[in-house]
Amino acid sequence: MNGGSIPLSRLSHYEHLKMDNIFSGVIENAAVLVLYLDRNGKVALCNKKTQSLVGLKSADILGKNWLKVLFRGSDNAMQRDMFKAVLDDALTYKRAKDFECHLLSDQGGFRLIFWNVAPVLDKLGQVQGSLFFGQDITEVQERKNSVKNIDDSLKNIISSIDEYALYVINLDGLITYFGMGCEKMFGYSKPQIIFKHVGILHNVNKADSELSLILERVRLFGKYESELELFTNSGLPIPVRLTVNQFLDAQGKLTGYVFIAKDITQTKKLEYQVFQAEKLAALGQLSAGMAHEINNPLFVISGRLEMLKQEEFTPKLKETVNLIDSQVNRIRKLVDRILKFARKSTLTLEKININEIIEMVLSLAHYNKLPSVKVEIEKSFQQNMPKVLGDADQLQEVFLNMIINAYQAMPEGGVIKITTSNFQNLYTQVQIADTGVGIPAANFKDIFMPFFSTKGQGTGLGLSICHNIIKNHNGSIELESRVNQGTTFTVKLPFI
Amino acid sequence: MNYKILVVDDEAPVRDLLEDLFKKENCLPITCGSGEEALAVLKEEAFDVVLLDIKLAGTSGLEVLKDIREKYTNLPVVMITGFGFDEELISKSKQFGCCGYIGKNMPVTEIVTTFKQFVKEAKTKGKA
Repeated sequence: MNGGSIPLSRLSHYEHLKMDNIFSGVIENAAVLVLYLDRNGKVALCNKKTQSLVGLKSADILGKNWLKVLFRGSDNAMQRDMFKAVLDDALTYKRAKDFECHLLSDQGGFRLIFWNVAPVLDKLGQVQGSLFFGQDITEVQERKNSVKNIDDSLKNIISSIDEYALYVINLDGLITYFGMGCEKMFGYSKPQIIFKHVGILHNVNKADSELSLILERVRLFGKYESELELFTNSGLPIPVRLTVNQFLDAQGKLTGYVFIAKDITQTKKLEYQVFQAEKLAALGQLSAGMAHEINNPLFVISGRLEMLKQEEFTPKLKETVNLIDSQVNRIRKLVDRILKFARKSTLTLEKININEIIEMVLSLAHYNKLPSVKVEIEKSFQQNMPKVLGDADQLQEVFLNMIINAYQAMPEGGVIKITTSNFQNLYTQVQIADTGVGIPAANFKDIFMPFFSTKGQGTGLGLSICHNIIKNHNGSIELESRVNQGTTFTVKLPFI
Repeated sequence: MNYKILVVDDEAPVRDLLEDLFKKENCLPITCGSGEEALAVLKEEAFDVVLLDIKLAGTSGLEVLKDIREKYTNLPVVMITGFGFDEELISKSKQFGCCGYIGKNMPVTEIVTTFKQFVKEAKTKGKA
């Protein structure tokens, strides 16, 4: 379309007439807009298509200045200037040009026209006028825009929901698309993973069987949906809800598979917490009943023993009585601990500065029977923190328990780092981190359960009591641990 | 200090122990095994104080306490329980008008002295 000028003057008069007859029919009925303006911009030819679009009869247009007739009104000024510039360019510099501009339609609203304009020259090469061919591309453009809008909004949706990751593999299992959420979820950058086998995201030991099962399902049922674990770049498992669909080309031929993984860590965590809370509540009830049943006979034993101690004994017998006494005391203390765990104790609430509580605990820790190894305590306290509403005695018990645990986790010494901070202006966060033996991941789920202990000393009630106390404060308690690297306990307590 | 004590507990070995402990202190303990029995005895005899177990077979100790409070306004009642220092039980007992609370998990010597302390306080208050 972007041709040069049309040398009308090279045609003979006869040829002119002949051409005129053929052309005028073709031009008049053409499906495109045809417009011929003389060198003054007046309309010399305007075909039916153009007339119907602008809603004017040829008599109303012919001989009129095109720009004045067509671009009425101030809304149109910009379109008129553009049209004029192109026209001037054609007339002055004899240049042909393609351009798009809006025309006010007879039906109301603007139509987008793609124009091709070429200057018409006489035999001396002088400009006679300019010939315009125009095509209404309004619908084409709208379709393009809507596709682009959908495309843009899809991209926005996918990139804004970061618990989702969308990736595509081809029939060889190689990753061909690694969407926005993917980098965040899996920790791989696009260049790192594109054209790698998708097995890289699965458990090394069962990637093959897992994937063949998934793809088999997709081929059979068109879709796969299940909960499983995928793995990050650093080897950490993430629980996900995975949906896999067929990826078909325009002809409906299978070209790959679309994977959508939703991170369900939080859901899992909640489910686990509810489960844990129910389990602890049931255990609490059981423990309270048991403790009561033990306390009664224990009371009788210790009472009778007390009376027995008033009697005269041989030294050997006296030793035996003392031994019984100390063992009875041991049972009594154990039952007390159980009752403490089981009890829904009411809190004596006061406004508490958590830093002061921890300072108090650290001074208390000195008087406890701590292993005599070199343990360094690093404190990093945030000052001027909002206060929390809590029971000072109970919170002291929680932190004392954790610090003693930290000591016991470091039989060869180490560092205990205690950090307090403001978490999102909602919680006071206390972290107690040791550099000790750590807790194997398999034990995480039992760590707050009563009677769970790996220490061979103690009752295994300490952390379950801590858990209950923090829960009664509407707070949370979490741990992170790596074997031989250490354990970090994080306690969050809501501000007042 | 020769208190006449009504000891209420549904476990015989516990009753016997308490009886022996108080006898050693020159008190006069009378024992019974249920709340119903205790209320019947109270109708017949006067006591200086009642030592009442909370978890009883039949009418619970707290119910018995309520009943005693209504019928014998000035009779001191000390509650005793194998549940130890349960705050809910303590506050309910106080609300129903006991003059003291003892956990069976306390060392025995402390139980006796604490009991005597409670009775002494109640008697002084009653006179004042």
